[in-house]
Amino acid sequence: MMPQHVDEKYGSAAQIMTLPPAKLIAILKDPSASVYAKAKACQRLAVTGDRTAVPALAALLSDRQLSHYARFGLEPIPDPAVDEALRAALGKAKGELLVGVINSIGHRKDAKALHALARFLHDADSEVAKAADAALARMRPPL
Amino acid sequence: MMKKELVSRRRLLKTAVRAGGLALAPQIIPASALGRAAAAPPSDRVTLAGLGIGGRGTRVLQSFLSEPDVRFLAICDVRNERREAIKSMADQKYGNRDCAMYSDQFELLARKDIDAVLIATGDRWHAPLSILTAKSGKDVYCEKPCSMTIAESRALADAFQRLARIYQAGTQRRNGPNFARARELARTGKLGKLQTLHAEAGPGDRWPPATSHEWLPAEPEPPKQVVDWDRWLGPSPWRPYNSQYVQGRWRGYFDFHGGGILEWGSHTVDLCQWVGDVDETAPVEFEPQGMGGDTPYSIYCRYANGLRLVMRDKGFLGLGSCHIRFEGDAGWVETADSGKIEVSENLRAEPLDIAPDDARQATSNHVRDFVDCVKSRKQPRSNALAACQAHIACHAAYIAFQLGRKLTFDPATDAFVGDSEANRMRSRAMREPWRL
Repeated sequence: MMPQHVDEKYGSAAQIMTLPPAKLIAILKDPSASVYAKAKACQRLAVTGDRTAVPALAALLSDRQLSHYARFGLEPIPDPAVDEALRAALGKAKGELLVGVINSIGHRKDAKALHALARFLHDADSEVAKAADAALARMRPPL
Repeated sequence: MMKKELVSRRRLLKTAVRAGGLALAPQIIPASALGRAAAAPPSDRVTLAGLGIGGRGTRVLQSFLSEPDVRFLAICDVRNERREAIKSMADQKYGNRDCAMYSDQFELLARKDIDAVLIATGDRWHAPLSILTAKSGKDVYCEKPCSMTIAESRALADAFQRLARIYQAGTQRRNGPNFARARELARTGKLGKLQTLHAEAGPGDRWPPATSHEWLPAEPEPPKQVVDWDRWLGPSPWRPYNSQYVQGRWRGYFDFHGGGILEWGSHTVDLCQWVGDVDETAPVEFEPQGMGGDTPYSIYCRYANGLRLVMRDKGFLGLGSCHIRFEGDAGWVETADSGKIEVSENLRAEPLDIAPDDARQATSNHVRDFVDCVKSRKQPRSNALAACQAHIACHAAYIAFQLGRKLTFDPATDAFVGDSEANRMRSRAMREPWRL
C-alpha cells in the first residue's frame, strides 16, 4: 500500500468526501485548509452541493491552483446561481483561468451569457477568443 | 476551403500519378516504396504517427509496423524516454533515422503528410486527443477505454461523424476469431431468441470497480524535457507529481481512470452490444448488486427491447480474461481470451475450434481492419458510434454502482430519468485550457 497524501486537519480524501455539504463548504472557507482538502471538497460538492455551495466555490475561480477544482464543483450544480457566478467571473479571471470559465459557461449553455461571450471573440488573447467561439458554437442550435 | 483540406495526401498522390505528375518518382521515392520488398507504393500507403505510446501502445504499434502499406513517421510523447524508445523501434524497422519526435501534440498534428494517428496515452487524454486529431483532418486508432465520461463518449461520436474521419477503438476482440464465432452462433439463431448477455467486468481483485480520490505524496517534478507533468495531466485535475503515475500506475485513481467496470467492459460490454444488435443504443436500466473487491458484484441491465445484459466480475467458466456469454432460449455460448469456446449440449456438433495462434491475431486483424477502412472510408468494426454507446453503458453502470441504487436511463438523451445526482456524474469539468 503506497502512502497517501493527507490533510493534517481534515484527513484523507476518503474522509473528506464523506462529509456533508455544509462541512465541505466550511473547508473551502478555512484559510488553514490545504489545497488538497479544498480540492477534494470541490470534487464532492460536484455531486452533493447546491446553491449554498456556489459562493464558496465561486470565490476560488481566480485562484490559480484551485480555479479548475472550483469549476469541477460548480459545473454540475443544477442551479442558476452557478451561471450568475460564472458570468460574474468573466470580468475578473484572466488568461487560462478565463478560458476555463468560458469553457464552463459553454458546457452549461448559459443563454444569458451570449452577449458577454461575444465580446471576447476578438480578445487580444487568442486562446480566450477561441474559447469564446467554441462556447458560442455549443449554444447555437444545430443547422 | 474545407473540401480542399479534406483531400488526403494519398488521394493527391494518386491524382498526380494519373496526371503524369510522377515523372520525378524515381528521384524521390525509394525502391522499397514502389512495391518491392513487399512494401506498398506511397499512393497506397497509410502514413501513421503515435501519440503517447507505452506498453500496450507498443504492442499495437508492432502490428502497424508489420503492415506493408503503413509507414510510421513520428512519435509525440510527454516523456523523453518513450519518445526515444519508439523512435528507436521505428528506425530499426525501416533502417534509417527518419522517425521524428515531438513533445507537443499540436506540432505533430500540424503535419500534413500524416494520414492517421495511433493514440495510446492514459485514458484521461483519449477523447480530447481523438477529437483534436480528427479536427486536424487525420483518422484515429485509439486505445480503450476511449472516454472518461458519458459526455466525452457522445462528443467523440459526434465529432467523428461531423468531421467524417475514421475512428477505430482499440477494442480488438471484435476482430478476434473466437469472439466473432460466438457472435455468429448468436446472430444466426443457433441460440434461439437471445435473452441475456453476460459481460465480464474487471475482476474485483485486479480491477476493482471503485476508484480512489487519494493523491500519492509529492515528489520533485522532473525537468519538462524529461517529463512534461502539466501536459501529462492534460485535462485532469492538477495534483503534485509522483513518478508512480508516470510509470503507469495511474489506474485506480478517479481523476485518471473509469474503474474496473469500464476497464474490461469497454471490451466485453462492447462485444455484447455488437452481438445483441444494440450498437446504436444503451440499456435503459442499471441495477447494481454487491460491492466488488473480495466479494462478487454485478450490474443488471435491461435494454428497451427486453434484452438483458449482466456485467459481473465472477462466475465465468475460466476460459481466460474478458469472458462473454450469450444465452438464448435454445442454447448458450461462452468464450474468452484463451480462444476456447464452450457451448450448450445441443450445440456441441457446431464447428468451434479456433487455433490458439488464430485467437491471438485479434490485434493484428483489428489494425488491418483500420488500415483498410482508412483507404476505403468505410466504418471499421469498432467505429466511434459503437464505441461511444458501449462506453456510455459502462459509465452509466459505474454511476449506478457508486450511488448503490437502480437507475433508469434514456439513451435518446444520454440522461438518467428522475435522478439529478446521477445526471451530475455524466461529465467532468476539464482543466483549463482543455475542452471537448
